[in-house]
Amino acid sequence: MKFQKIIMVILLALFSGSVNLAAQDNNKAEEIMKKAHLALFYAGDDGAAEVTMKIVNSKGKERLREFTMLRLDIEEGGKQDYYTYFKKPSDVSRLTFMVHKIPFSSDNRWLYIPSVDLVKRISADDKNSSFVGSDFTYEDVSGRHWSEDNHKLIREEKLNGRDVYVIESVPKEKYKGFARKVSFIDKENYLPLKEEYYNKKDALKRVFTAEKVELVDGIQTATLRKMVNVKKDQYTTVEFSSIKYNVGMKEEVFTERFLKNPPREYIR
Amino acid sequence: MFRHKFVIITFALLLLMGSPATKAGETYLSGFLQGLYGGGLDSDNPTLTELTASETRLQLKLESFSDGAEFFGRLDFVYDDYNDPNVDLELREGYTKFRVGNNLDFKIGRQIVTWGTGDLIFINDLFAKDYRSFFIGRDDQYLKAPQNVLRAAYYTGLGTFSAVYTPRFTPNRIPTGERLSYYNPMVGGIVGGEDFYFEGRMPEAKLKNGEFAAQFSRYFGTADVAAYFYRGFYKNPTGMDMVNMEAYYPRLNVYGASIRMPALGGIAWLETGYYDSREDIDGDDPTIPNSTLSSMIGFERQLTSTFTANLQYQNKTILDHDTYLASLPEGFNETDEMYHLITSRVTKLMLMETLILSGFVFYSPSDEDFYGKFSVSYKYTDALTLTMGGNIFDGNDGYTEFGAFQKNDNVYIKVTYGY
Repeated sequence: MKFQKIIMVILLALFSGSVNLAAQDNNKAEEIMKKAHLALFYAGDDGAAEVTMKIVNSKGKERLREFTMLRLDIEEGGKQDYYTYFKKPSDVSRLTFMVHKIPFSSDNRWLYIPSVDLVKRISADDKNSSFVGSDFTYEDVSGRHWSEDNHKLIREEKLNGRDVYVIESVPKEKYKGFARKVSFIDKENYLPLKEEYYNKKDALKRVFTAEKVELVDGIQTATLRKMVNVKKDQYTTVEFSSIKYNVGMKEEVFTERFLKNPPREYIR
Repeated sequence: MFRHKFVIITFALLLLMGSPATKAGETYLSGFLQGLYGGGLDSDNPTLTELTASETRLQLKLESFSDGAEFFGRLDFVYDDYNDPNVDLELREGYTKFRVGNNLDFKIGRQIVTWGTGDLIFINDLFAKDYRSFFIGRDDQYLKAPQNVLRAAYYTGLGTFSAVYTPRFTPNRIPTGERLSYYNPMVGGIVGGEDFYFEGRMPEAKLKNGEFAAQFSRYFGTADVAAYFYRGFYKNPTGMDMVNMEAYYPRLNVYGASIRMPALGGIAWLETGYYDSREDIDGDDPTIPNSTLSSMIGFERQLTSTFTANLQYQNKTILDHDTYLASLPEGFNETDEMYHLITSRVTKLMLMETLILSGFVFYSPSDEDFYGKFSVSYKYTDALTLTMGGNIFDGNDGYTEFGAFQKNDNVYIKVTYGY
């Protein structure tokens, strides 16, 4: 009897210890993913950049999109406003698109079509819709909050000569975007250098890579990003140029007034 | 002659400006070249031609920025195989935008103006529409006809005040019998062709005959709410001058309101407007429309990541309907007290948004008429887009809104090269 109790206590102690260890690991993993999220989506307090998007299909046919993108963080890691001014191709030129991102909730989205002077509000139920016909989704552009997934640090390794954490994320609630995600996070600047998205059959669906990382205004920035759609055998690259951080952008820019009248101090 | 001079001056200006970007990033030139060819499906349509469209269009877009102000121009050159003369040009837009102080924006010149919440249903938007373009497959941008206006918007913490003043009344562009037939109440049937070429009599070009439209809008949380006012004329020639036997544009005031907000995973909207028929206040003149209350409710939702659908219901209730009936002479077509309209738009995106299938239907259970627009559009490259589509009208009677166009069923192809 006594012996059994002792065994029991030892087992419990061992078990709870391992649980603690696991919990600590998960906390660390979540901390890393939080930093990664902030590094990729919340760099500086605001930002402006020229973006060139290249969509390449399985036959190698290319399509180009050029736009100016403005971003303002309302809360670090929380609410954000986005503004996109399209330049190319010709059929969408001068179109503006605005998003008020609210984590854990539906975003508010507006589209302004200048040729008919029309402000359209867009239902934003599905964050997994393609962003302007590319392999990036709306969520890829504005980010998925780290607390929506359970994270596990599975190993640490080197990727293209950089030390990285390898973290596996599984959505807490059933989610259309992915069933499992493996992220390779740079230990030094916390930028995700690679992300693998798996579906519920655990087949690799999409792969994100940060192809080029540069120091801009003192902030490490992924200036060339690529998303490969494995199943469709096609990919999209996004190149950021003329990047500016902390320009003192006002919240007013992200209203209907400026949706209809692009702020020319940032957009030409 | 004036037109030729205008073309020459425009080109000279463009040449002077030289390359698309003369001063780095200050002036841009772009546009498109488009061929649109369409034919009628009803062999008994009494129009001058069976070609609903046979045109080649070159659009030049020019924009220029300088500190504190900007200019935008959009000029269309159209070669029409059927029209005489073959060449036409229209300044679609030509305006200057500038800011005075921090809260006041001006947009002055020829421009497209749109407001309100409906999808192709317009209650408080009394800016000119071009149904001639809409019915034959021209791009969406041609549904709105330009107006020459002075427009100002004043932004305050309370909300936004907008005002649009159009010195010269600008009516809708509606079928005239040339390429599209229409219903003529004098004949009591659908007419077209040279003898029935139709234009409403414009109000005299006097200061008091301008149009004034105002809007106040603000957000309450995520809901955008607006109030509207319009003083001008019916945009279609709905009045009949029995002395001269001429259709004209009777005076109209409109008071309205709208709300639009996210709901049930989509966007919902509600809009209402009171059409105050100023020349028939008592409702006892059968040659002028009675005052009417018009309301709509709509909802749009993305159903899958590539499929979006919406649904709208509109109701128009004629006020003083009994008076109207009592005054209606024998043999005139009677308009119901209540008009109901249901519309739906569906859009399906395929092949990474390069193939777009789209449909829009209008159906009125009270008028028993129908209008459907369908199109398939394929972006072969970023520059080149191929579109095929059709416009189908049906109705029990010739005098209803869409029934009047029931002989104008058409299909078209359109090729656009953007630069």
